[in-house]
Amino acid sequence: MEERKAYSQDGVLAHLEMLEAQAHELALKQEEKEQQEEKLAGLKARVQELRARRDELRAKLELQQKRLLENGGAETHPEQPSARAVLEWKIKSVKALLQLFYLTGISGKLTKRGVCFCISTAYEGTYLESYYLDVLTKPEVQIQRHSVPIFIPLEQIAKKYLQTDIRRFLSVLSDHLNAYAARRYQADQLQERFSDRLEGTLQRNSLCNLLVFHYNVPSDGRSFLFTARLLYADPCCSLPTEAIVSCTPDAPAALAEVAAAHSDAFRRVALHKAFDSFSKAEETQDEALISPPGSPQ
Amino acid sequence: MDEVVAEYIRRTVLKIPRDEIMGVLRKWGFLSETQLGAINFRQTKDSISQEVVQLCEENSADIKQAAILDIIYNNIYPNKRVWSVYQMKKTGEETDLFDFTNFKKKFKRQLQSALKNVTISFREYEDNAIWIRIAWGTPYTKPNQYKTSYVVYHSQTPYVFISVSVLKSNLPLLCQALVVASNYHDIREMELRSHCLNSLKDIVFKRYSQNFQTHYPKQEKNVATENVDVRIIQEDKSEKERIQRVNREVFGDGPQPKLEFAQYKLETMFKSDPKMDVLEKREPFRCLVKFSSPDLLESLKSLVPAGMADAPLSPLLTCIPQKARNYFKIRERKGVLPGSFVRP
Repeated sequence: MEERKAYSQDGVLAHLEMLEAQAHELALKQEEKEQQEEKLAGLKARVQELRARRDELRAKLELQQKRLLENGGAETHPEQPSARAVLEWKIKSVKALLQLFYLTGISGKLTKRGVCFCISTAYEGTYLESYYLDVLTKPEVQIQRHSVPIFIPLEQIAKKYLQTDIRRFLSVLSDHLNAYAARRYQADQLQERFSDRLEGTLQRNSLCNLLVFHYNVPSDGRSFLFTARLLYADPCCSLPTEAIVSCTPDAPAALAEVAAAHSDAFRRVALHKAFDSFSKAEETQDEALISPPGSPQ
Repeated sequence: MDEVVAEYIRRTVLKIPRDEIMGVLRKWGFLSETQLGAINFRQTKDSISQEVVQLCEENSADIKQAAILDIIYNNIYPNKRVWSVYQMKKTGEETDLFDFTNFKKKFKRQLQSALKNVTISFREYEDNAIWIRIAWGTPYTKPNQYKTSYVVYHSQTPYVFISVSVLKSNLPLLCQALVVASNYHDIREMELRSHCLNSLKDIVFKRYSQNFQTHYPKQEKNVATENVDVRIIQEDKSEKERIQRVNREVFGDGPQPKLEFAQYKLETMFKSDPKMDVLEKREPFRCLVKFSSPDLLESLKSLVPAGMADAPLSPLLTCIPQKARNYFKIRERKGVLPGSFVRP
C-alpha cells in the first residue's frame, strides 16, 4: 500500500508500466513452470516406453535362449547387436535401396503433397538425361509439373495408367524416355563419328523416329551413294522397325546385296555399331583385294 | 539478277550490325570463302552491302537464296519481331513419324492451292526447329518480299510460333496449311505473346528451371560469403530466409523466361463501401491492368526480396509460366463466396 502511494507520485503511466512488468514476469514464470511440467510428463512417458521395450526385448531374449537350449545348442546366447550397429545397418540398407532404384532408373522422393519421381535414362552403359515428375496424391493422383519433353506422349500415358496403376505408368513412361534417349544418342553418334561418310545432312525429327541420310559405300575403288530411310514405328524401341536402303541407279547390281545387308544390320544393331561393322567389313574386303587368299606372299 | 532480289539482299545486309555481317554471310553459304575474303569490312555499311550485292550478282542469286538469307537473319535476331504462340490439337494416338520432306510438300501444296502468289522457304536447324518464311502476294499481284510472315515449328510438338506483322487476313490460310502439313486437325491462338522467341519456347516446352526435389541434389553453387561485420545483426534473418525459400519454390533456381508484359482485363464489380455508393449501376467495372518490364518474370521474382511486396505473391502473377499465358481475363466468380477468379 505504501509502495503504491509512493509510485503514484511518479505518475500513473509509470505505475502501469511497473504492473505490466510484474504481470509479464509472472506470466514467464508460469510458462516456465508449465514447460517443465510438460517436459517431466514427457520424460516419464519415455521412461515407461523404454521400460516396456526393455521388458519386450528381455522376453524375446529368454524365448531365444529357451529355443537354443531346446535345439541342444551349447552356444551362449547370441550377441545382442548394439543399437548403433542396428542403426548403421538400417542406413546402409536404405542407401543401397536408393542406389538400386537409381540404377534401375526410376527413383522417387516424398514431398509435402505427394511424390517427386526421377526417371534416369541410359544407353549401353552411358547415363543420359534425367527427367522429373512432381506427382500430387491428394485430392487425386495428378501430375503437378514435370520436365518431360513436349513430344513424349505423357498425357496419353497418364490418361491410361496414372490413376489405376502408377507402377505401370512409370514403367511405360520410362520405356518411352529410354527409347527416345537411345535413338537420339545413336543419331548423335552417327553425326559425330561418321561425319566423313555422310553426304549432306542427317534428316531427323524431335523424337528421332525417322532418320534419312546418304552415305558413301566404297566398292572396287569407286564410291557409291547409298540412301537409308529408318523408321522407328515403336516409340518404346531403340531399333528401327523398317530400314530401307537403296543405292543410286548407276550402281552395279552386286551392290544390291550390300544394301540388303546394311538394311538388315540397321534393324538388328545400334546405328553407330552398324557403321562400325561396315567399316570393318570394308577394311577386310580391302585387305582381301590387296592380298587375295592363296596368292604367293 | 532481278532488281527486286538485288535490292532485297542489299536491304537485308544493311539490317545486320557491321561486325556480324561476315558471320551471317558465312552461315548463308552462298558466297565462297574467296568472295567473302574480298569484301572490305572497313567501309560504310552502305558500301559493304553494295559489294555483297555485286558478289551475289556474280553468282546469279535468285529470290530463293535471298529468302534464305532473310530467314537466317531472323533466326539470329528473332527478338526484333513479336511472336504469338498457337496450339494444335489432334485426335489420333498413333506415333507420328514426322517426315520433313513430306511436311514441306504438304504445306506448299495446301497454301499454294489457296493462294498461288506466295514465296515459301524452309530451313531446318539443329534443334529440330523448322523455320518457314512466307512472302505474301494477292491473287493478282506477285509476292511482296517485304510483307512476310515467319513460322517456327518443332516437329512432333503441338505448338507453333508465328510472327505475322502484316496482312492478318492471311492468317487463317497459314494456320490451315500448318494443320494439314503436320497431321493435326485444329489450331487456336494462345494468350501468349512476346518478343523473345526462346523464352516462349522455354515456357511451352517447359524448359525453364523448375525446382524438383531429388535425393541427388545438383551441386549447389558456393555462395560467396561476404565479409560481414560481426557487429551487424540481421534482425529479420529468419523472415529473409523464409522469403528466399518461398521464392525459390515458386520461381525455381535458374533464369526466368523473358516476357515483356502481362495484361489483366478486369470485368469485376467495383467493391466499395455501400454507404459511399460510388457506382449506381451494378455492372462490372471494366479495367485493364498491364505490367511492363524488359524482363517481367525476373522483376516479379525480385519483388519480395526487395521488400516491395509480401510473400507469397499473388498466384495471378506467379502462374504465368505454368499456365503459359500472359493475357488474362478476370471475371466475377458466381456463387456464394465473393471474389474474383481467373477464367482460362
